[in-house]
Amino acid sequence: MDVEASLENYFDQTIAGSSDYIFEGDLGLQGPAPRLQDSSFLSSLTSQEKDLTEDLDLSFLPDELGTQDEPSQAENLSRNEDSGIYTDCPPRESTEADTDTSNSAQNASQFNLPMTPMTPMTPMTPVAESSGIIPQLQNIVSTVNLACPLNLKSIALQARNAEYNPKRFAAVIMRIREPRTTALIFSSGKMVCTGAKSEEQSRLAARKYARVVQKLGFPAKFLDFKIQNMVGSCDVCFPIRLEGLVLTHQQFSSYEPELFPGLIYRMVKPRIVLLIFVSGKVVLTGAKERSEIYEAFENIYPILKGFRKQ
Amino acid sequence: MPSSCPECGSSNVVEDDLYSQRQWVCVDCGSVVSEGHLTTTVSDETQGRAVPYHASTEVLKKPCRNLIAGFSRVRALCRILRLSSDMESAVVSLFERAYNHPNFIFVTLTKKEILGGCCVLSVCRQCNWPVAMGTIGYLLGVDNATLGTVYREFTKALNIEISTIGIMDMLESFCYDFKLGPQQVEEVFAEPPQRLVDRTSALIELAADAWIVTGRQPLPLLFAAVYLAWQSLNPTVRMKYTFVKFCKIGKAPEQSWHRSRDSVVKRLKELRDVLCKLGRELPWLRGGTVEPNTVVPLVDDILKNHRALLLRAVRNYEQQLQNESQTAQTTECDNELSDSNRSESHSSTTPELMDPDQAGCENPADKQATDCQLPPDHWSKRHLFLPPCVKNRKRQRVDAPQLEVTGDEEISDSEIESYIRSQDEIEMYLKVQKELKKMA
Repeated sequence: MDVEASLENYFDQTIAGSSDYIFEGDLGLQGPAPRLQDSSFLSSLTSQEKDLTEDLDLSFLPDELGTQDEPSQAENLSRNEDSGIYTDCPPRESTEADTDTSNSAQNASQFNLPMTPMTPMTPMTPVAESSGIIPQLQNIVSTVNLACPLNLKSIALQARNAEYNPKRFAAVIMRIREPRTTALIFSSGKMVCTGAKSEEQSRLAARKYARVVQKLGFPAKFLDFKIQNMVGSCDVCFPIRLEGLVLTHQQFSSYEPELFPGLIYRMVKPRIVLLIFVSGKVVLTGAKERSEIYEAFENIYPILKGFRKQ
Repeated sequence: MPSSCPECGSSNVVEDDLYSQRQWVCVDCGSVVSEGHLTTTVSDETQGRAVPYHASTEVLKKPCRNLIAGFSRVRALCRILRLSSDMESAVVSLFERAYNHPNFIFVTLTKKEILGGCCVLSVCRQCNWPVAMGTIGYLLGVDNATLGTVYREFTKALNIEISTIGIMDMLESFCYDFKLGPQQVEEVFAEPPQRLVDRTSALIELAADAWIVTGRQPLPLLFAAVYLAWQSLNPTVRMKYTFVKFCKIGKAPEQSWHRSRDSVVKRLKELRDVLCKLGRELPWLRGGTVEPNTVVPLVDDILKNHRALLLRAVRNYEQQLQNESQTAQTTECDNELSDSNRSESHSSTTPELMDPDQAGCENPADKQATDCQLPPDHWSKRHLFLPPCVKNRKRQRVDAPQLEVTGDEEISDSEIESYIRSQDEIEMYLKVQKELKKMA
């Protein structure tokens, strides 16, 4: 369809041109995003209330997108701060330069968020005025490649803080005291580090493990350190009616009191799984970035407040 | 092995197989000198084995025995639960799909039995026929956790959408399980099912308002509610019968309640506490004590006026909180002392509404309070009715102080050295290992 082709076109331009956009989730800076993510991203831009069940609404697009002035559109996008969504589509026949740019400006502005300004979407400090509660990070899981084959038996013999039981699991389990973490070290040289409470702590701990392995006589390096999972938790300080929540948010929630006392809420954007309990405690997991946890909590807090009973 | 060709006489005979049949062929004239024979006994057979049934080319494969046994078991389950014939056929077809699914074709027989139960559960949920997992669990003889894992795998593998059922849906069929008709038991025990259902549903609604239902297993709560309902419908006679006795009178199947007996006792306690809190608000009692053991005769009155009583209880509690905060402001040192003193002074004027935990850890009369370690200004103090998991927090969670690190700091050598064994230690370790191996 023409519309979808031009949507992809639009994304290519914005990715190439503007650095103000920080895409979340899987929509990275690697090229044209696949169609599914196009629609979901666009619908999240156009819907003001982050209503995740709204279908893609293309009514604001002009009937024929035709040829657009590419560089000027990219410029306009970065220039535009606030703009409304134009419901009347301007005619495309105009060939004058200024109306052309104004058309493309209008088209560009139609893609912009009407309410939120063009600020980066991942703030470093969480916006706490809406709920006043900041989720605390409880666990970070990260992986790193030491890039050298390891002799696990020799490591287990020489290290005080290592355990190795090849019949049970094919890796050495090593622990350090500061930061209090555990690492699984495999013979291929890959390592998983768990238990840290912040990204920096996880990195420091992984470096310490690499140092230990180095001191044990292996030429360990520190390649591709990546945070794989972050778990956070917080307390909203009021009891929550889980039965009501599962009825209204059926497509995202799963509540089986016979199997697990909490409600499992799978948020689509950002892709986080939340465990919501009747006591008001919320556990958020599946994040690769701290901001995803904060954003997920800010998304769920108004929903939970709706189920507060006085 | 022949060495010369009878046709042309050359001795150049090689072994050259034709489609796995051994043949000796003359190279010069191409004639077949001799061939291998089809063997006649198994011992002569040097290659090949029997073809297994699943790899055979039989066109119409008979369903395997386990599948047939599974079908009969699934049908039996449907009949026990009295499902309609449409539902039964849906269950059978779903079971066939699940059984032959690659995730489930090679699992253990017990898991296949549980799979049958999951099919029944899934079809019942789809048709809005309320069956609890616990019911299926006790019919199959497995616990909820095992059933749950298989159920989750099953819904994921076959892409089935799960719909939740509420406790109120399960109520009616649950009550009808108890055989308390006038012909089945003595007059004093008999209860028409509809009355039992009404009374139980009123109790469960009350429990839901008081946060006892959410997040809990529904079956123990249903048992507790039915028991209390039955007692309250004729309290003078039935008060002396315990829960176990009641189950025996009503001929409830033992496997269904036996495992969850402890939970039922806990729910009974919670339900009675809630009823006491409301019972104290009854105006005609004029502030007299309402104890959990004796609250059952009042259940009738409490349920009739439960909304008004709830409002009164909450209002009185808030009033009491206000009074307490005022007195706490005027006398600063009172904060620790006398929660118990205050309660005594208030009991003469307003009915005792103290949350046991509010008395803090100093009140010796309340054994529940010794377990709780809630900070004095916890948000839960402001509510009269709360989920028990909030009030009974056994252990104060201690958040370790956060390390402020940048991730790129210098790592001291001494720290790393502390994690490495010295040569002496290694030798000692190896020695001990050798000794242990010798002993073993």
